[in-house]
Amino acid sequence: MAITRIRPRAAEAVAAVRSYWIDILLLVVLAALFAGTLALARRWEAPYRAATEIDLSPWALPRYTLLSLARGLVAYVLSFAFTLVYGTIAAYHRRAERIMIPLLDILQGIPVLGFLPGLVLGMVALFPRSNVGLELACVLMIFTGQVWNMTFSFYGSLRAIPGELREVAALHRFGWWKRFRTLEVPSSMIGLVWNSMMSMAGGWFFLTVTEAFTLGDRDFRLPGIGSYMSVAIDRGDTRAMGCAIVAMIVMIVAVDQVVWRPALAWAQKFKVEETSAGVAPRSWLLDLLRRSRLMPWLELELGRLLAAVGGGHADPKSFVREPRVTRALPWMAGLVAALALVAVVAWGSVHLVVLLGTLTASDWAALAAALGLTFLRTATAVALGALWAVPVGIWVGLSPARTRIVQPLVQIAAAFPAPMIFPLVTLAVLSAGIPFGWGCVLLMLLGSQWYVLFNVLAGATATPQDLREAADVYGLGRIARWRTLYLPAVFPQLVTGLVTAAGGAWNASIVAEYVRYRGRTLVAPGLGALITQASETANFPLLAAGVSTMAVALVALNRTVWRRLYHVADERYSLNR
Amino acid sequence: MAARSDGASNLAEARAVSKTFVRDEYQLAVLRDVSLTVRPSEVVAILGPSGCGKSTLLRILVGLIPPTTGEVLCHGARLRGIHPGAAIVFQNFALYPWLTVAENVRVGLYRRALQRDEENARITRAIDLVGLEGFEEAYPKELSGGMKQRVGIARAIVGGPELLCMDEPFSALDVLTAESLRSEVYGLWSRGDLGLKSMLLITHLIEEAVFLGDRIVIMGTNPGSVRETIANPLPHPREYRDPAFLALVDEIHAVITQVHLPDERRPDLAARLEPFPNAEVAQVFGLLEVLRDHGGIANLFDLATRLQLEVGRVILVIKAAELFGFVDTPKQDVVLTTIGRELVAGDANARKRIVHARLLVIPTFRYLVERLRRTATMRLAAEVVEEELAMHVPNEPTEALFETIVGWGRYGELLGYDPETREIYLDVESTVAFTHEGAPT
Repeated sequence: MAITRIRPRAAEAVAAVRSYWIDILLLVVLAALFAGTLALARRWEAPYRAATEIDLSPWALPRYTLLSLARGLVAYVLSFAFTLVYGTIAAYHRRAERIMIPLLDILQGIPVLGFLPGLVLGMVALFPRSNVGLELACVLMIFTGQVWNMTFSFYGSLRAIPGELREVAALHRFGWWKRFRTLEVPSSMIGLVWNSMMSMAGGWFFLTVTEAFTLGDRDFRLPGIGSYMSVAIDRGDTRAMGCAIVAMIVMIVAVDQVVWRPALAWAQKFKVEETSAGVAPRSWLLDLLRRSRLMPWLELELGRLLAAVGGGHADPKSFVREPRVTRALPWMAGLVAALALVAVVAWGSVHLVVLLGTLTASDWAALAAALGLTFLRTATAVALGALWAVPVGIWVGLSPARTRIVQPLVQIAAAFPAPMIFPLVTLAVLSAGIPFGWGCVLLMLLGSQWYVLFNVLAGATATPQDLREAADVYGLGRIARWRTLYLPAVFPQLVTGLVTAAGGAWNASIVAEYVRYRGRTLVAPGLGALITQASETANFPLLAAGVSTMAVALVALNRTVWRRLYHVADERYSLNR
Repeated sequence: MAARSDGASNLAEARAVSKTFVRDEYQLAVLRDVSLTVRPSEVVAILGPSGCGKSTLLRILVGLIPPTTGEVLCHGARLRGIHPGAAIVFQNFALYPWLTVAENVRVGLYRRALQRDEENARITRAIDLVGLEGFEEAYPKELSGGMKQRVGIARAIVGGPELLCMDEPFSALDVLTAESLRSEVYGLWSRGDLGLKSMLLITHLIEEAVFLGDRIVIMGTNPGSVRETIANPLPHPREYRDPAFLALVDEIHAVITQVHLPDERRPDLAARLEPFPNAEVAQVFGLLEVLRDHGGIANLFDLATRLQLEVGRVILVIKAAELFGFVDTPKQDVVLTTIGRELVAGDANARKRIVHARLLVIPTFRYLVERLRRTATMRLAAEVVEEELAMHVPNEPTEALFETIVGWGRYGELLGYDPETREIYLDVESTVAFTHEGAPT
């Protein structure tokens, strides 16, 4: 086929020559990052102060936004490290896997408020004099919103690496670094980047809660955009709320452009399948960075260093069956870690049982009723979300031109923490005369619909061309076409989207069923409201019971409804013919 | 072209059709000025290598994609939308995995709008015809490749189309299954009671085209166009080992070789980056050695077997050898030249000297040497060269081509390459040395 370039791009002509300008820019950015980290560290050193005064002037916002961003990034780095370690061990160590994966499943179901009291009280007790404790608690709460799906994705990718590729690596005696680079990074990177984007959004979701919260009679507030928003909501300062929303959007778009777009465009080189359907992600920043002279050098040297550390050769016997990692963890260390884990879990369970023992039968009845109500609300929210997102997602995904425009917008909408606009939406709902019990379904919808849209859209872009052509040739009408082609083709992605959306709706219930605005508190009876109230009144037995109930409910839903749907999707609607 | 005047009976017709795909800032010329007519009661086989746009041509004739320029007719009238009497058998079956065999076949009846009873009767008959009775309620993933394609065929014939289009229908199947399905398809067509008038077959296998095609249209690449149309007078049933069958296969071989290795040599142009066949030094030497062992002359297809390479690859190697003047290619034979003989007879040093001398007259290398001489550092970034290659030689993977060029340059000690900085440079010492020794030019 004759390929001709229509117009030689000016940018490419320039790109041919590597430029030092890029490197100077790069150095400036690095210096700024360094300075920012120092400033943050200095803040951490500051003497302990539970509730900072928040300045509602828009001029204070950039500083707050940067502080929140820094917390999110620190949490992300932690999540990434955790993912690599936890995922690798779970994927390569049969016995550990049997405990680690169900544990991850349960942890995933625990809403952030479940971690809050333990983290905050523990950290503050650990660092009574400086702010580090509070800051760490906040970072760790963001971490709990980010980490689980990344770990699942990485673990899944490692498990999916074909045995033959492992055997090649073993035959050629790859050290861990080489194996990581040539085998594990390529097979996991695309999934990890997509999940990182979702994780970042998950981390921001509770920003208004994680930066400013009440624990019994104690108020905690850290300077950040989340606190800014929560103070603005408390005072009913609509202008400040608007400013915070704008700042949040700016931050999300900036992170998208500076971090995720380049990462996605870069990760495309690991794409295996040859389907040209869909739009290949591109990034101006990556194009720019590729012109740098410094980067290739840095990459080379870093690679050399790591290769030296990682050891060129591995004992070939060691990791065809039991990869090196298991050997790297000596047997004894594994045992100690396992014992420590068991001890912690046992201690935690005893505490939990003691805590729960103080609850009365009427408490449990209230919990059951609350669970039922919240279940109905989340189910309604997910169903409503699917009702519009499925047709729109398919309609957009079928056209590359529409996808190019809509997909980035959906990503940004999904990354925006919906709880930030809950008070505004609540106000609108109430003024429209809708009771709050129904209105909070709308709030959950805001927190979950994007996942359905996002996944269905991705599924529709991947609809095989020949199946569409067959529908054309055999003259399938509009209804027949949706029934026999589009809906079944996106079904697997729809299930994924529904699972994520349901998780999002349950999580959102914590902030959606209990909204405070200008000192007024609106409560829709349900599990989320119950948990939030228990946290605010420091009623730890009730909080523990509420959080456990939610975790158990989510795991039960996963094991019954979602697993069955996944099975159906895999058996009947898989396109891997 | 006899039936031109009476277009109304022609099932499908393309008149001067061209197709260009545009993606981002590239445009891809897939078809240029292709004319083709499918007349009643004939099997037209379109034969061509991958990438010649034959599948695109089929989709244009059926109305799935519009041509960029040119006209598509159906029974003499301009085709609007999908061809009403056409059905397609797809290369990868294109069955809906969530529908059973019977439901998949029912898809082929959608536009007929029949009574339910009539529909069911037709579906049963179609499934019987392709020999899948008993599998009505099975899902495609439970079936083997051959059975899946039977479902594809049943879906295509169930609506009684007048034109059956097949897009490499047997290429995803094993050889034996493909052979038996081929005969069955011919059987279905020759029954005459299915309403089927003509068939259009897309294939890259000469034997398949000769077995089924009454008219064989040979297409070439860059961009796709019709090179020749050959009538196939052999009576049915055709037999693969029949001498007349083999003779026709040979004739088509010769035509294809002609298409891919034109006899006339290009006039020597001023030095510039030119398409350089992406064949490595070792491959070309291997070819020359095999040729020497064959007494200096061999047939293209024998070479492919001897070298254990696919024909497309061998053609590239031969082109490279021809560019260096090591071989000549009259018709479909490859002949060792004097320089070629000298090269295979020589030791490593002699070979290097000959390659060095030949490199100096090949436009691509002359151009690179010229460029390098003009730079102050005598160095050139790989990216610059790759960028220029992408401009001038757009149909090759640039990086691979660059590596091949560097490989030849290094072998001939004309160019050097520094992988650290990714730069090429002029191998000055050896250039001087060889020139002083007076290498043959």
